[in-house]
Amino acid sequence: MTDLMTQLLARRLLLVTGKGGTGKTSVAAALGRLAADAGVKTLVVELGHAAVLPDLLGAERARESDEPRSDPQRVGANLFTLRLVPEEALSEYLALQLRVRALARGIVGNAGFRRFLAAAPGWRELITLGKLWHLVTREDARGRALWPLIVIDAPATGHGLSLLSTPTVILDTVRIGPLRRNTDLVQALLTDAARTLVLTVTLLEELPVNETLELRARVRELGLGLGPVIANGVEPPLALPDAERVLAAVASLDSADAPSPLADPISVCASARHRLVRARMQAGFLARLEREAESVPLVLPWLEQGVDGPDGVAALAARLQTELTQRSGEVRS
Amino acid sequence: MKPERWLDCRVLVTVGTGGVGKTTVAAALGLAAARAGKAVLVMTIDPARRLADALGTGPLGHEPREVPRERLRAAGVTGAGTLAALMLDTKRTFDELVLRFAPDPSARERIFANPIYRNLTDALGGSREYSAMEKLRQLHVEGKYDLIVLDTPPASHALDFLDAPRRLESFLESQFLTVLLHPAAVVGRASLRLFRAGSELVLRGLERVTGLEFLTAISEFLLAFEEMLGGFSERAREVSRLLRDPVCGFVLVAGPDLQQAKSAESFWQRLQTEGIQLAGLVLNRVHTWPGAGAAPVDDPREAERAVEWLARALAERAPDLDALGSARLLVAATRAQAALARRDAAVRERLEKALPLPPEAVRVVPLFSEDVHELEALARMAGLIFGEREGV
Repeated sequence: MTDLMTQLLARRLLLVTGKGGTGKTSVAAALGRLAADAGVKTLVVELGHAAVLPDLLGAERARESDEPRSDPQRVGANLFTLRLVPEEALSEYLALQLRVRALARGIVGNAGFRRFLAAAPGWRELITLGKLWHLVTREDARGRALWPLIVIDAPATGHGLSLLSTPTVILDTVRIGPLRRNTDLVQALLTDAARTLVLTVTLLEELPVNETLELRARVRELGLGLGPVIANGVEPPLALPDAERVLAAVASLDSADAPSPLADPISVCASARHRLVRARMQAGFLARLEREAESVPLVLPWLEQGVDGPDGVAALAARLQTELTQRSGEVRS
Repeated sequence: MKPERWLDCRVLVTVGTGGVGKTTVAAALGLAAARAGKAVLVMTIDPARRLADALGTGPLGHEPREVPRERLRAAGVTGAGTLAALMLDTKRTFDELVLRFAPDPSARERIFANPIYRNLTDALGGSREYSAMEKLRQLHVEGKYDLIVLDTPPASHALDFLDAPRRLESFLESQFLTVLLHPAAVVGRASLRLFRAGSELVLRGLERVTGLEFLTAISEFLLAFEEMLGGFSERAREVSRLLRDPVCGFVLVAGPDLQQAKSAESFWQRLQTEGIQLAGLVLNRVHTWPGAGAAPVDDPREAERAVEWLARALAERAPDLDALGSARLLVAATRAQAALARRDAAVRERLEKALPLPPEAVRVVPLFSEDVHELEALARMAGLIFGEREGV
C-alpha cells in the first residue's frame, strides 16, 4: 500500500479549502513546495487579485513596484505560481472559442457587456473552473502534461462551495450547446477522485471544526473526492507531570522574590494553564475529527516563526512530508 | 468613535477577514447594546450553529429569534433590552421579494421557474451579498430594532456587498439587457443606434460560446429585480446612503498576526475609497502578558536564572517532584507566552499607526484559553470591548 504522499502527488488537481483564517494559503504553498522538491512539476494557483504566493514561495521580484503577474511565474525548481483573474481568463477563453481575437476583444471591451459581467452571478466561478480544466489538459510538444500537478489555494468554505457547485447549477440550466459541453468536461474532472481531491484545512477549535465537518459533507454530496483533514497551527502540549501539584507549589511563591519576570509565579502559572487548557481542547477536537470526519487528520504544528516567507513554508512543508509519508491507507472519496 | 458611542448607531457592520472572530464580536456588540437597554438584532450570514446554541435561540433561521429572557438576565441584561438573532437565508429573501413585488402572478411564476433563480440558494456567487443588503434595508425601514448588527461574509469577498447594489443598478440601466432578452424587437428600431457599435456582433459571438439559452436565463434572473421592484435603483441608493450615514458604524475586526493585520489595512483602504467611515477596530484573540508591565525581551541568561530559582523553590515545597524538569518546562512555556505577547504588541502598534483612529476606538480582546461561545463568555468579551478592565 502506498503512502499518502505518493497518492496525493499522483493527482492532477488538489483543491485546498477550509474556514477563513485556518492557513489555507500556507498549506497550499507548503504542498507546492513539497511536490516540487519530490520532483513533480507543480503549479500553485491563487484566485483573485491578491498576489501572496510568489512572495510566500520566495520569488525574486525585479522591482518592488512591479505589477503582480497573471501568467505562470517560476519561483523555484519545478515550482510555479499563477494568479488566476476571472476577467483575464474570460478574454482568453473567448479568444480560444471564437478563434477571432478582434471579436473577443470587441465583446470584452463592450460597455454593456462589462456591466452585464459586473452584475451577473456565477460566471467568475465558471470561468475559473474552465481555466483550471484547461491547465490540467494542456500538453507540451511531446504530449506530456504541461502541469502534472496543480494545487489551488481555493476560497474559504462558503465561496469555495459556490465554486465547486457551479457546474451542477449550469448542468441543470443548460441542456445543449458549447457551454454544456465544456461544463460536462469540467464536472468530469472535478468528480474524478483519481484526478481531483479536495483537502480541508482546519484549526483545532470549535467553529473551524464544525465548519470542516459540514464542508466535507457538502463536498461529498457534490460528488468530489476528499483528501485528508489537515489540522493546522496545532500547539505543542505541555508535558508536565503532576501539573496540578507543580502549579499549586508555584502559586504559593511570592512574585516579589522572583529574580526575573520569567519566573514571576503569576506569569508562570497563567502561561502554563493557558497551554494546558488549549492542549486539552485541541486533543478533544482532534478526536472528534477522527470520529466524525472518518479521517485521521494530518497534524501541522504551530510555528513560532510564523509562515510569512519561504523559510516558514519550507518548515511547514517538512512537517507535512513527515505526516504524509508516515501515513498509508487509501484516500477516501 | 468611543465604543460607548458605537451603540448609538442604528446599524453596526462588522467587517474583516475570515477566522478573526467576526461573528463572535458581532454577537458581543449586540449583547452590550442589549445591556444598555436597546432592542437589538444580530444578523449573521454564516451558519454559526454553536453561536445559536450559546444564545439559546434554537437553530437560527430566516426570521429573527429572541434570546430567552432568563438567559439574557444571566448575561447581565437587567433592563428592558432584548436580543434577537437571524441567519440570512438567501433563497427566502429572494422569494419574499418576488412575492411582495411581482407585478402580476404570471411574472411571479416566470421568475420562480427561471433555472438560475431555482438554483440560486447560495450556489451563485454574489447572491448572498445582494440579499444581505436587501434584508438589512427591509429591517431598518421596519424600525422594530434600535440596533441591527450585521456580520458580513468572510474573506476577500467581504466587501463585495458594498458594491452589490451599485453593480446591479448600473447593469439595469444599461440596455444590454434589452437586446439580450428581445434581440428581434430591438433590431431596426432607432434605439439601436444608442448602442455602441458592435453590440449585435457581441451577442452573436457570445451565443456561439455559451448558447443564448444561458445568457437569457441569467438576464431574466437579473431583470426580475427591475420588473418586480420598478424602483430598484432607488432601493439600491437607499442602502448605499444608509451605509454611509452617521447612523451606520463599521467596526473592523482583526487578528494579531501579520497577514491578518495586512488584510485589515487593505479593508480600511477599501472602506475609504467607498466613502465609509470606520467607527473602530477590535483586535481579537491577542496574546497578552499576564505579569506586570510589557512582556520581557527574551534573554537566555535571564531564563536560566528563572529556571534555577523555580527549581530551588519547587524542590523545597515538593521534594518528590522533578523540580528541575518542571522548572524548565514552565519557563519554556512562559518564554513562549512572552514571545507571542511581544509579537502581538508589535502588530497592534503597526495597526494603530496605519489606521487613523483615536486610541479609545481601538479595543483589544485577549485570546481566551477556550473558545468563546457561551453567553457568559460573550458578556466577558463585551465587557472588554466596552472598557471594563480585567486581569488575564
